[in-house]
Amino acid sequence: MENRTKKLPFRRYFSITRAGILEMAMFRSSRVLDFVGNMVYMIVVYFLWRAIYASTHTVSVNGMTFKQTLIYLTLAGAIFSTLNNYLVWKMGRDIQSGQISLFFTKPMDFFLREFFYSLGNVATQLVLTFIPTFLVVSILSGWSLPMGVNLLIFLPAIAMSLVISFSIDFMVGTVCLYSQSIWGINMMKEVIILLLSGATIPLAFFPEAFRNVLMFLPFQAIYNVPLMVLVSNTYTWIDYARALGVQAFWMVILVACARLFFRSSSRVITVNGG
Amino acid sequence: MGSVIELENITKVFRVLNRHAGLKGTFTDLFSRDYKNLVAVDHVSMSIEEGEMVGYLGPNGAGKSTTIKIMTGILEPTEGKLLVNGRVPYANRTLNAQNIGVVFGQRSQLWWSLPVIESFRILKEMYCIPDKVYKNNMEMFDELVGVSELYNKPVRQMSLGQRTLCDILAAFLHDPNVVFLDEPTIGLDVSMKSKIRELISVLNREKKTTVVLTTHDMGDVEALCRRIMIIDHGKLIYDNNIQQLKQFFGSYRTLKILPAGNVSFSEADLAKYGRQLLVLCPETRNVVFGSDEEWLTVLVPEDEISLIKVLEHMQTLIPFRDVRIEEITTESVIRKIYEGTSDAKPTLEAGHGE
Repeated sequence: MENRTKKLPFRRYFSITRAGILEMAMFRSSRVLDFVGNMVYMIVVYFLWRAIYASTHTVSVNGMTFKQTLIYLTLAGAIFSTLNNYLVWKMGRDIQSGQISLFFTKPMDFFLREFFYSLGNVATQLVLTFIPTFLVVSILSGWSLPMGVNLLIFLPAIAMSLVISFSIDFMVGTVCLYSQSIWGINMMKEVIILLLSGATIPLAFFPEAFRNVLMFLPFQAIYNVPLMVLVSNTYTWIDYARALGVQAFWMVILVACARLFFRSSSRVITVNGG
Repeated sequence: MGSVIELENITKVFRVLNRHAGLKGTFTDLFSRDYKNLVAVDHVSMSIEEGEMVGYLGPNGAGKSTTIKIMTGILEPTEGKLLVNGRVPYANRTLNAQNIGVVFGQRSQLWWSLPVIESFRILKEMYCIPDKVYKNNMEMFDELVGVSELYNKPVRQMSLGQRTLCDILAAFLHDPNVVFLDEPTIGLDVSMKSKIRELISVLNREKKTTVVLTTHDMGDVEALCRRIMIIDHGKLIYDNNIQQLKQFFGSYRTLKILPAGNVSFSEADLAKYGRQLLVLCPETRNVVFGSDEEWLTVLVPEDEISLIKVLEHMQTLIPFRDVRIEEITTESVIRKIYEGTSDAKPTLEAGHGE
């Protein structure tokens, strides 16, 4: 029996992604319900914002027409259900039950393992909920969405959204090592992200001073940036490059933070027990 | 053959909050800085050779699982030196993980909602097991326990026994040098227990895998291990072969009898039963009578007389309503070791089996 001491190749993480996809596919009815949920959300958003627009007596509010707002918010809802992978719940549960100690007996980096697992979930959701929702929105809006290079740019943009939102979730999940409450922390995180990222109200509707502050925070890089890439008719190559640049910047910073935070926190486990 | 696991004066101290009872106590605990040190493992040294199968015993909370967690790299010891496969586990966790396999009886490493074959495939990728090794191992597993009919069953639909079986196979799949089995037979029925014992014993023999087994079940130990280590209150109190251990508990079993009707168990009565039994069967001179609430207990040295014989004779003496047979527990073995006379003192440094 030879001692396998060489470094294992990176591709082994893809087996975890595959498992993530299979797990999502095992629960077929959930995927249908996710799509239906998005449609219901679209209807709610439709009536809510129609009332808002009706009260203003103008065609556009803050530079966005009713139709643009509707498209923006429906797609934001679809991105939300794509990226939302209950990582905080999962980590919290694994930490409280001590299951996390089993991951430490595997030849895998915990951050990467969880990321590639999420990647499988997200890829499945992208195909099974986001794309159908996108098509329905396109059809209902009379194919007014741009269908060109923006679709290609959207792919790296949504991938970076995933990394950013994953890193934030991972940090929040790591807090579970110290705190017993999963529900409270997760709620707080979700409300903050949904509000400050422009997922519940388009950033255009925020007061300008506040919006300028938000532009310097990482949250808008999760929803606002990929959404604008997808729906804007006026983006130029420079805009695309800037959008991806902003995301890449936050991605690097947040991944580094999440990994450092977990590394220092995992001492809590190795020193104080699982 | 070099030693695979080497522990030298390993100590693990946990810092725990001194909790207080009641609502007020719980509330003040929120702000308390009142910690106490809990010594879970206390200067434990051991050396385990390649291919050995070692039983690691101790009552609940004795420090068994903590030692296992230190050896698997989950925990960092507070003091002491250790090497597993020539590496410091907590410092090289990923590298160490490639050469060990782990089963924690109360947890599963299998993917809960996926068919179990997917878990095996993931492990193949995770450990980069060559196709040939994977195929040979899967064939061997199927020959041993016939798992192929389980392949497409999602783990969540499996019985505890099937799941444990698969978990053990999963731990051996990548041909690790050392496998740690932490209470693998917990909660299983007798036939599944013996199936799992058989499996572990074959895998240890065929693959020359070093196995460290923790358990509460003396049956597991007798079936599998030649060498036993016992830990209590964090200290290693026994490290020797199983024959030596048997001197402590012999081959005793306790027969418990629930007599029909009201029977008193005064000293005189117990002595009377002893005399009557001796008349019927002279080999019963070392049988000890006692009582446990409404049960009459009979401690039977099975080297001298079989338990069934004693039962037969007792039947002619008193009518029963119920009968139980109790194995010697780890706890009573440990008590015996503590009570150990000078000729059979617990030996820390004694050479072990083989």
